[in-house]
Order: sequence, then C-alpha cells, then structure tokens
Amino acid sequence: MGNNNSEYIIEIENVSYKYPGSDKLALRNINLKIKKGEIVLITGKNGAGKSTLCYLLNGLIPHFFGGELEGTVKILGMDTKETPVSYLSTKVGLLFSEPSSQLLTSSVEDEIAFPLENLGLPAEGIDRTVNEILELFGLMKYRKRPPYALSGGEQQLVALASVLSMNPEIYVLDEPTSALDPIGTLQVIEMFRTIARMYNKTFIIVEHKLEEFALLTTRLIVMDNGQLIYDGSPHEILTKKAIELENLGLEVPQIPLFAQKLLDKCKPEVESSLELPLTIEKGLEWFLSNISRFKPCFNSFLSKESSVNATKEKSLEEPLQVRGEPIIEVDHVTFIYPSSNAVALKDVSVKIYRGDFVAIIGHNGSGKTTLAKHLNGLLKPTKGVVKVFGMDTRKTPMIELIKHVGYVFQDPDKQLFTTKVVKELEFGAKNLKIPQDRRNKIFEKVVDELGLKDLLNENPFFLSRGDRQRVAIASILTMDPEVLIFDEPTTGQDPKGRREIMEVAKKLHRDGKTIIFITHDMHLVAEYAKRVIVMHDGRIIMDSTPRNVFRMVDELKKIKLRPPSITELFLNLESRGLKVDVIPLTVEEAINILVETLKGD
Amino acid sequence: MSEYYPGASIIHRLDPRTKFFIFICLMLIVVFIMNPLILLGIDIAILLLYVVAGIPLSRVKGMIIGVIPVIIMFVILNIFVIPVKNPTIIGYIGSYPIAWESIRAGLSGGLRFAIFVFFSRLLTMTTSIGELVSALIKLKLPAEAAVAIGIGFSSVGILIEQINTIKEAQMSRGAPVESRNPITKAKALISVTVPSIYLTILRGLSIAKVLESRAFTYNPSKRTFRKIVKFTKLDYIVIALSIGATLILVIITKFYHITY
Repeated sequence: MGNNNSEYIIEIENVSYKYPGSDKLALRNINLKIKKGEIVLITGKNGAGKSTLCYLLNGLIPHFFGGELEGTVKILGMDTKETPVSYLSTKVGLLFSEPSSQLLTSSVEDEIAFPLENLGLPAEGIDRTVNEILELFGLMKYRKRPPYALSGGEQQLVALASVLSMNPEIYVLDEPTSALDPIGTLQVIEMFRTIARMYNKTFIIVEHKLEEFALLTTRLIVMDNGQLIYDGSPHEILTKKAIELENLGLEVPQIPLFAQKLLDKCKPEVESSLELPLTIEKGLEWFLSNISRFKPCFNSFLSKESSVNATKEKSLEEPLQVRGEPIIEVDHVTFIYPSSNAVALKDVSVKIYRGDFVAIIGHNGSGKTTLAKHLNGLLKPTKGVVKVFGMDTRKTPMIELIKHVGYVFQDPDKQLFTTKVVKELEFGAKNLKIPQDRRNKIFEKVVDELGLKDLLNENPFFLSRGDRQRVAIASILTMDPEVLIFDEPTTGQDPKGRREIMEVAKKLHRDGKTIIFITHDMHLVAEYAKRVIVMHDGRIIMDSTPRNVFRMVDELKKIKLRPPSITELFLNLESRGLKVDVIPLTVEEAINILVETLKGD
Repeated sequence: MSEYYPGASIIHRLDPRTKFFIFICLMLIVVFIMNPLILLGIDIAILLLYVVAGIPLSRVKGMIIGVIPVIIMFVILNIFVIPVKNPTIIGYIGSYPIAWESIRAGLSGGLRFAIFVFFSRLLTMTTSIGELVSALIKLKLPAEAAVAIGIGFSSVGILIEQINTIKEAQMSRGAPVESRNPITKAKALISVTVPSIYLTILRGLSIAKVLESRAFTYNPSKRTFRKIVKFTKLDYIVIALSIGATLILVIITKFYHITY
C-alpha cells in the first residue's frame, strides 16, 4: 500500500478543501511536511480549520465527508485518496474532540479492546495490551464501568486509551485535554512525552492550551481562516509573536506575554532584542538578571503617567470585604446519588451573598456540579438544608426556586428545541407565568444586552456554537433570575469565545446579578472571579479571594489544580526577595504591580 | 444490557444462548397456559431468580410496580371490550355486568405480559453486551451486525444520561416535565424530545466517523472477539431442566384440562 522513501511521514501538498454543500474553503493551499518523531502542536481559533486538517490525515476527508479536495496528502508514502480509512486508521490514530461521542462499547476495557478486535489480533494479546493500557492511564479501577458513567475528563482518557491501544505510527489528537483539570492535563502531556521518546512516534496535537503544550512539542503551527500562518519552533513563535497571537484571540503563555509587554512598555530604554523566556523557571532567571535594566524605565514611566496609581488601585482591590446579605445558604449538606450510592457532597456548608461573583473550581469529580444543582433545587440534599432566598429547597417547588436562580448548562444543544430564537427566549418566561408587559420589558433588555436582535427569527440549530450559547444564556435571563449559575460555560469554545461569555457574565454582575460559575480554566478564574470556592472529594476546602487561593500553590497542586503562571512567577520572585504588595493574577496586573514595586527602589 | 448488573451468580454464568432458550420456553408456556395462578407462580419464580442473581429487588421495584397498572388495564379491557360466552356475572358497574371470565382472562393476559417483562429485564441485567455480541456471532449473525447491535445497546446508557441532562436543563427553565397532568406533561416533554432526537442524530453521525477511525471496516470477517461464550455443563443442565419443566407444565395443564 504505498512506498515511503521520503524522510517525511506526512506530506501535504497544495491542499485546499471544501465541505459538501459549502461555498467556503475550509482549508486553503496547505503545504506541510512532518518528519517521523516530530511532536507538532496546532492551534488557532474555532473554525480555523484545525479539525478539518485532522480528518485529512486519516482519510476521513475525502472518503467519509466527501467534498472537494485538491492537492495530495501522503501518509507514510500512501496517497490518502487511494487508501481506505480502515487501513489508514491502523497507521494514524485519531482522537476526536468530543469525548462522549466516540465511546462505543459498554465498559472501559471493551472500549480499549475494540480497535484491537477489529484488527483481528489474538484474544490473549488483546487482554495483555488492555491491562497495560489500563495501568498506564490509571483506569484499572474503572475497567468494568460503562464509559457513560464516568466524568467528562475520565471519558476523554478512555477515548485516548482506545486510540493508544492500536499503537499507531502517527497520533492525531484533537483537543485531547479539553475536559481535563490542570494537573490531569500535565499528566497526559507527560504520557505523550514518554510514548514519543520511547517509541519514536509522531504526534499532531490540536490544542488551545499553549502554555502547557509548548514544552512538549517540537513545532508549533498556528492556523487561521483555513491557512497555516505560523510554522516554527514553539519557543520562537511564542516569544516573538506573543502579541500577534493574543490579537488573534489565542491563549498565549503568560510568561513570554508578560516579558514582551514589559519590553514594549520600556522601549527604547531597554533593548527589545532580549531573548524572552517561555517557562516560569526561565522567567524567573530572565527577570532577575534584567531587573536593573527596567528600574530607570519604570521611574521615568511613573513620572510621565499619573494614571498608573489609579489603575493599580482599581485592579488590586480585595472585593470580599464588602458583601451583601446571604441569599443562598447551604447548611451541612451531604448528598448521595441514589443510583450509584456515591457520596458526592460531604457535610458542605457555604453561603452565597448578593453581588458575589464566585468561581467553583476543583478537579474532575470533586462535586462542583452536584453542589451547583442544589442551588436551584435540581438536587435535594440527602442530609442538611439548602435555603434559597429563605426557601428550603426540599419543601419548595422547583418553579419557585428558578424564579430566583437561573442555571445555564454547559451544552446549548441539550437545551434549545424550538425553531426560532424568539420562541426559545420566551419559553422559560412563559413557564414562570411572568405578566406580559414585564416579560416584554425583560425580553427587550436581554435581546439588546446580548446583541440578539438580528437573530430573533433564525433557527437556533443553524447558528454557530457561540451564538447558540448566547441564546441559551439569554433564554435563562428572560426569566429574570437574580442569581445565575454557569456550569462550565466555556467548554468547547476557543479562548476568544470563552472571554465573550465571561464578558457577558461580568456585565450581568455589574448590573446587579449574582454570578456563580464552574470552570477548569484558572485564567478565567483569575480574571473574573471575586471569590473562589475550591472543592475536593465532595468537600469545600478553600473559600476566599482568588489572590488568597492562588497563593496556596502546594495545596492546589495536591488536588490537581495550579494557579496562573504569572501568579506562580511572582510567588517565586517573592520567595527570592522581591517585595511586592500583592501577588498579580493577570499579566496587566503584574506590570502595574512591578512598576509600583520597583519605583525608586 | 445497558443496565448490566455485574456478578458471578449462576444466572450470570449462563451462556446468553441458554437464557434465550429459557425465553423461548416461557413463550411456549404462556401460549399453552392461561391459568392466572400458575402464571403468577411463574412470575414469582422469575422474581426469585433476581434474588439468585444477587440483584436486590429494590433495584427493580419500578418494574414490579409498573406492571400493576398494565394488569389492571388488561382486566378493564377484558371486562368492557371482549365479549364472553356464557358469562358468570359476579356484579355490576352501574348497569354493566361484570363477568368472572373477563376478570380471569384479564389477569391471565396481564400476568403473561409480566413474565415477558420480568424475564427480559433479568436477561439484560445479567448479560453483558460483550457476551451478547459473542452469542449472536455463535448464532451465525454476521460480525458487523452483531457489533452494531452491541453498540446500539451500549448507546442506551449514554442516551439515558443525555435525556436526564436535557430534562434538568428544561426543568431549570420551568418546563413542567414532571407534572401530574398528562397533557401538560406531554406538551412539556416536547422540549426534551427535540434536543434528544437532534443529539441522537449527531451521535449517529459521530459513531460512523469513529467506527471508520477505529478500524471497524478493516476486515470484519477476520475480526476477533475477546470474550467468547461457551456452553458449559451448567448450560446443558439448565436447558434440560427448562425442556423438562415446559413439557411437564404443558402436559399437566392439557391432561387435567386446566385452561383457566
């Protein structure tokens, strides 16, 4: 099936591609060659063509999707147009981005064995491989469990294990860690590193998490609008193009971004040819060795700009000091899922205050969603009491509770059902029997605030994922709740999409709503939350401001979480003797704090 | 099978083909036997098999309670819809006569229905999908079809989870999906059904993509199966006992003319 005398394992030449029925090119004139053993990271906004490129590599394009394909794709010397997907799939292991949609069988071990059985391998060999892989992924205790009963992160690991079991030459992984917590992500990266080194395998990884993956990969490709716009070493691109990547809406690693912004601020006093760091360790070295160069720049900068102090005060305020009255009270709540007898909450007590902007964080399966579902009566405590605006959730019909607490689910597809956006927005408000005139007023305000005016007569199913998410949020807002719960609202969104949703939440908070959001994204927590509740094993183990919580680096790492790297860098600087008043949570904050710290010092 | 209850009981250890065979025997029995008392005895015997399988009856409480209204419906239908020759009138509803034969026939129909429900559920709760697929292959079904059936059963659990989430999302928007009023409930369930269908179609498309990418069409005729079911001594004994019990029951009822 083909002959590979080339030094390249993947050769894509002049490829352009259109999906059937579409006028738009999903890929435009792609030329890409990848050598055996390379670990390539591909990133870009949603819709940039990353997944399409993945489908190209195992022949799903053109064999499965059809469409118009120009140019040639050769994998190990085989032209994908002439090679069936079933054969290519033995060489190219493809992991899809949505975990649950790729699980086919009834148990974790069957899922791992499935491709091996398809390849006709002897049963004893399959058992051995299954056991090895279960061990490698730490999934041994789940081996008999049905995949649907696992958390999103665990499902992602099972799907990945199934791809790994085939031992392909090339791994094509489309967002392999989107549902994993921060430390889970690092563990998976470590596993890729081991496999790549030990077996000299080739990896093509599509990811938004540039910071975590940059050190694993040997090459970074940035896509936009179906084209490859940057292709080079991750260090080179991330340190030299940090600002450009940020403008593209990507999540640029904070350390090079911080260094670049610092240099930009100090032009021309500090030469901009300094090589920028990528990691926290390098950032620490870089900063300590260059600190004297920045000092004069900061002094002159301070005398030039009087607004810095005001900015600083605004960004460094500690908001937990001023609080409204408690509106939700969770009192010694224990919850046991009746179907599995799993204890999901263990004696949890917490109060939500009017005007809170709370992030609930914790590793996969720590009890975040279970707690949130208690706040609008979807779940009732097995033991203990939950009071929502004074109403005991066990004694109050849910319809009364949802007048006060709105719940935005992760996936808009599990919510939208009408043929017009306008009907979707009216659904909840009508169910609550809100009087017509009040309903109209709220409706207009929500449509205006979320910019949905032009979409009102559209069919929600034909909208983009981002627009569907906005419609889903709006359909809760039209019920006019005072508290809004966002359950992982940013999963499946690119960094720009995540920020857009969080900006909506921020605006609602400014308008007086109380916001509770569940997330794995520590950057969003740092940037938006005023209070952080950390959960572990069904308990609340920390409840404080983001700054206080992110100071506890060691404690967080023990429960598979980690602070943003800029925060970690400054904690390291602090331990090396730099006295800063407060630890920054974002890059902008870090620069302001530094200016303040270094002036005249 | 999507609700497989793992265990190592005698029932779990039986080859799925043996369980299919018992199912066929039960079908024969209910064709020949109409006596409500004997049928009730069979129903109770099947429920006892759950205990033998180590499945707590509390786990199938819903199923047991669920058949009661069906039995009542069978009785009502028999009373009002199906005419009886030479009825024994035991009372009246208003001026409508109630025949003992109608009640007996209704009970018999309902209890036969319960036998199917109880045994099918026992079969699904004690047979893993892997065993089922293997059994279907042994029954000469093509590998593609057997695996496809297995994937179908495996998807049930995911679909149930999905429907539950959709239900929760719509309840959070005030949809009365748990209303006691059947019309209100039916209307509210549209908000659950539409996203469910949409997501099921998406899942179908996704499965097709994944199957290709996991080498399913590589060479189906040479596909191996990790779990291969085999007849053991236990299966032969159970099959012999099933044949014996079926014959005895049919012969006794015929010999003693026990129709009802």
